[in-house]
Amino acid sequence: MDHSTNKKISRRQFIKGAAAAATLPLLSNSLPFYGSLAHASGEADLVIAKSGSPAQLLQAAMTPLGGMGRFVKKGQRVVIKANIAWARTPEQACTNNPELLYALVKMCYEAGAKRVAVWDHTCDNYQFCFTRSGLKEAGQKAGADVFSGHGRNVYKKVEIPKAKKLKTAEVLRDVLEADTFINFPLPKHHFATELTLGMKNFIGIVWDMEQLHKIDLHQCIADINTLRKPDLVVMDAIRILTTNGPKGPGKTEDIGEVITSTDIVAADAYAAAFFKHPKTGKPFKPEEIKFVKNAYDLGLGEIDLSKVRMKKVSAT
Amino acid sequence: MSRAIPYLRRTVQTLSFLFLLYLVIRTAFPMEIKIPVDLYLRLDPFIAIISTLTHQGLIERMLPAFGVLLLVMIFGNFFCGWFCPMGAVIDFFDRILFRERKRTKPFDDRPLRRFRYGLFIFSVMAGLMAFQVMYLLDPISLITRTLVISFYPPAILVFNHLLPQVQNLLPNNPFIASSIPLPVFKVNLFIFIFFIAILALGVIRKRFWCRYLCPLGTLFSLFSRLRILKRSVTDNCTDCQKCVKECPVGAIPEKAPQNYRQQDCIACFKCLECPPGGVSFHFNRPRWKTVDGVNLSRRYVLGSFAFGCVSALMIKTNPLQSESGLKNNRLVRPPGALPEEEFIAVCTGCGECLKVCPNNALQSTFLEAGLAGLYTPRLVSRIGYCEEFCNFCGRVCPTEAIRPLTLEEKRLTQMGVAHINKTRCIAWDTEKICLVCNEQCSYQAIVGDEKKRPIVKEEKCTGCGICENKCPVDGESAIIVYASGVQKKLKPEDSNNTKSG
Repeated sequence: MDHSTNKKISRRQFIKGAAAAATLPLLSNSLPFYGSLAHASGEADLVIAKSGSPAQLLQAAMTPLGGMGRFVKKGQRVVIKANIAWARTPEQACTNNPELLYALVKMCYEAGAKRVAVWDHTCDNYQFCFTRSGLKEAGQKAGADVFSGHGRNVYKKVEIPKAKKLKTAEVLRDVLEADTFINFPLPKHHFATELTLGMKNFIGIVWDMEQLHKIDLHQCIADINTLRKPDLVVMDAIRILTTNGPKGPGKTEDIGEVITSTDIVAADAYAAAFFKHPKTGKPFKPEEIKFVKNAYDLGLGEIDLSKVRMKKVSAT
Repeated sequence: MSRAIPYLRRTVQTLSFLFLLYLVIRTAFPMEIKIPVDLYLRLDPFIAIISTLTHQGLIERMLPAFGVLLLVMIFGNFFCGWFCPMGAVIDFFDRILFRERKRTKPFDDRPLRRFRYGLFIFSVMAGLMAFQVMYLLDPISLITRTLVISFYPPAILVFNHLLPQVQNLLPNNPFIASSIPLPVFKVNLFIFIFFIAILALGVIRKRFWCRYLCPLGTLFSLFSRLRILKRSVTDNCTDCQKCVKECPVGAIPEKAPQNYRQQDCIACFKCLECPPGGVSFHFNRPRWKTVDGVNLSRRYVLGSFAFGCVSALMIKTNPLQSESGLKNNRLVRPPGALPEEEFIAVCTGCGECLKVCPNNALQSTFLEAGLAGLYTPRLVSRIGYCEEFCNFCGRVCPTEAIRPLTLEEKRLTQMGVAHINKTRCIAWDTEKICLVCNEQCSYQAIVGDEKKRPIVKEEKCTGCGICENKCPVDGESAIIVYASGVQKKLKPEDSNNTKSG
């Protein structure tokens, strides 16, 4: 495991390495090091792209954020946590849009990613989820590995120091070890927690997900999100599920938006307004979703959208 | 040429077994294999005849088996010696582990040869009435059942154990391979012991099981009396007794090696290795008469007949089988299963459905369905649930005890109904929000009330058991699926996700 740490570097090796580090960027075409400096930060922290094909929406939403090059550097390993939880077809809007996943993976590779892995711990049998949702095919077509967390050996038991209730959990090792982590949720109705948003999607990295319901679902969602802040949130709101969530099938609504952000709480706060509160009939306020509030209290992000640098763009 | 035949036979046997193994392994998602995975069972005339009789109607899938029977009438009992995977395993273990004991006196096997027919009559009689012993003894059903229930889970366990160690040897984790969820079967040990016991009988006599017990072999024996390809011996015979000793089933009598019992011969052609070259096989007129046959007295036949009937009556009057209060309402049958009594009469317990079930939901019964329903499949939701878009079990069942349903039909078949135990349910018992069952339900049969407590809508519940399976309560679930008697067809509804597009 740690055979690399107790090795000493000789002077010769050091000089070789230093020379290589200095010259390699100059030789390569995309100049990743200098390129990334130029896009160190974007002009907005929450971008909403509207009207266009999935690929166009993603492109439009990424540009104001600083482009994919800001998040994915050359040679990095990227993990995307998609929502492939159910054996449903793409039209039913219970799982991610396959075209958008394809575009996202492609974009990661164009930014120089070494390997892109798409993960989910599915609720239905993974084989049926992967084929019916069309996401395995889409991911693999773009060159990504599409993995399912059905085997316990891909998990790692970790402590969650900042958590209030969920102190330890078994989570996907690859999510913790990846250089770049992209949370790729889609907003859905959810009977127990009102809504499924970005932070709820992150629950799918846990081995025994059902147990969280026993503890306190809202707090657990917030707690698990302290484990790793996503480098990038790409929210797939092209079509959302508004009833019978999270498994559906239910009524769907074509929003036609892709939301990108570096702040998962802000993204969730924005997406909450897509749905109407069952009692008042008005759009949800972010504070009304308990796990968003809990996450804000834990300091995971900004719940007040007026304090977020937001930008709406049109893809066409 | 004649020298090569034993090697050829061993090769064919090995390939036949490996082919069965391959089919068993391929009996899994995504089921796109072109050959029927239950091919061997469909070629088994014993199962074909019995299940046709108990089903009271022709089973299309089993028709190829009658072709095999026809071939037996031409070539004699070639199946046992060349293609039977069980025979291959027995031959293998007879050579390497369970060697026949040396004897000083010759072994008089006439009582045992007689017993074979007695057992056959007994099991067929009992089977036709209620007591399915014959399926337990059928070699093809037996070997697939043993492979699936006893050997498949340990194989996965070993794989999962070796996987991380192999991965550790490789630097920097170049690939990610998930371990496979371990399949589990409660009856694995019984089936394993039964299997080993059969192999161990080889100590008494080579291929003991095949010669004296196997009902499929007995059926083939009856039909191969009429075989056309027959053995003949010329006058060159020097009475060297080589063929008598070499015959793996002892079909050549010591006193008269010119003759043979055509019903016992498995057409292995080992006797062609005759030193003077006097043995040959030719097509000839069939003759029912045989030499050195067994003396099946009227008393013996009637005795086995009566014994079969009476034991079936015992089973029928057992409270577990009859409509008494002891009826097991947790006995949920797979989707599309025939009504209980017919189901246990037709199901051979081969284990194909247990293997193909993607969630390990189908389990083999022990005594839950009574003795008559031994080793039949049932849905145990706490281990796994019935996947919504899967109809594999009906597709692999050789006797159509689980009818092949389309996905649409399957999704509207009610196997049982879920009931909530409100004293154990997290939402009903405490103030916490749980609703895992509502979240997981594929058919929207579980709704939440105003306090987010689950309620089951019976008219939509199919009894798939995903709620029971995912319920986070420790130990027994707080929501339990009870069998609904005969499987019902639910009314299709727009919101019931009938659109599969």
